[in-house]
Amino acid sequence: MNKSDFILILILSTVIFIFYLFLNDKKSYAYVYYENNLIKKIDLKKDDIYKVNGYNGEVIIEVKDNKLRVKKENSSLHLCSKQGFVNNIPIVCLPNKIVIDFNNNEYDVVV
Amino acid sequence: MKKIVLLILFIFILSGCNKNDMYDKTLFYMDTAIEIKLYDVDEEHANKALSDIEKMYEKYHKLTDRYNEYEDVINVYYLNNVLKVNEKIEISNELSEIINYGIKMYDETDGYINIAMGNVIDVWKEYREKESGVPNLYELDKPIDISYISLTDNIYLKKKDVKLDLGAYVKGYVTELVGKYLEDENINKYLINAGGNVKLGNKYRLKKYNVGLEEPFNTSNIYKTLSVENVSIVTSGSYQRYYEYDGNIYSHIINPKTLFPDNYTKSVTVITENSAYADIMSTYLFMLPIEDGLKLVNEKEGIEAIWYSDQIYYSDSFDKYEQK
Repeated sequence: MNKSDFILILILSTVIFIFYLFLNDKKSYAYVYYENNLIKKIDLKKDDIYKVNGYNGEVIIEVKDNKLRVKKENSSLHLCSKQGFVNNIPIVCLPNKIVIDFNNNEYDVVV
Repeated sequence: MKKIVLLILFIFILSGCNKNDMYDKTLFYMDTAIEIKLYDVDEEHANKALSDIEKMYEKYHKLTDRYNEYEDVINVYYLNNVLKVNEKIEISNELSEIINYGIKMYDETDGYINIAMGNVIDVWKEYREKESGVPNLYELDKPIDISYISLTDNIYLKKKDVKLDLGAYVKGYVTELVGKYLEDENINKYLINAGGNVKLGNKYRLKKYNVGLEEPFNTSNIYKTLSVENVSIVTSGSYQRYYEYDGNIYSHIINPKTLFPDNYTKSVTVITENSAYADIMSTYLFMLPIEDGLKLVNEKEGIEAIWYSDQIYYSDSFDKYEQK
């Protein structure tokens, strides 16, 4: 690993970083999965409260200021509601079999 | 050093087949937004194709427009409102073909798809726009018999004052033509969404197209995700255009047998190869009791359907389109 290698890596990571930022900017939706099936697409630009059905009953999701949290859910440890507001890290509610993801896993089309 | 160069190359290749070669355009014709996406095509070819496609939608929009007249075009408005009863007129091949398709589909659908329904659809449209009341049978007693229309060798004639309405399939019909055009142009990876009339070409990446089906009356909720390519998908639903009166929902799809809208299902989505046929079948199935529709679809080859009603109903092989 010489100097030019280092510079290349630096340039490369900058490019990737910019690219990532650009993609990140488009992440205005959250996707809610139940047992790996997508059940809801949530617009993060709209502050709102959503209810979905998890394995242990209702899971309440709150959107506020482009971020999302699980407000209420039925589990013994309440791990996913303790996670608080996020807009990039997936929320996994294992006992409820609910996953909330922000990946740009956008639909090609919704009808 | 070599590894890094390879890595850079790899990233360029990745980004190359990702976004750079997708071209899209949104058009507005036939009272709807039409979204076109072309993948894996060079810029010049894409621009030419998008402009040709726009011309196609524009041409058919004018030909099938019920509410406006255009210079130098004999269109549906002309046939309905200008042409006199028992007066002959020569129409273009394109209009002739689209009307003939409708006449053929009348037989295919046991008379449920009736392009001569315009008079009755107009009455319901008035009620839908004022969002109150329900027409009585006297108001709906208008000429709608398809036998009042005759079309031979592009010569159109109406024996009574019937009005054509091609709304049940015109979007699907033109979208099918656009798909054929793209395939002739060797653009095989494409997505067309003409106001819910979706036609998809080959997949443009490793995964097939992700298609979400929205819940009727609660459209931010997706109740089913499909993973498909080379199919047409059309949904007919009461939630798309309707009005509510006295606790009942009156959808825009009027059953020619009863002259009233049906309420068997909130929506039905059809998947089949041909977009015009998908459009026809979704409208037809919307007017049938679900068990009759299921039987019909299961007897036919190459067509699947899903109903969103009190529960979700699937045709026998629908699951092959579901995202696993």
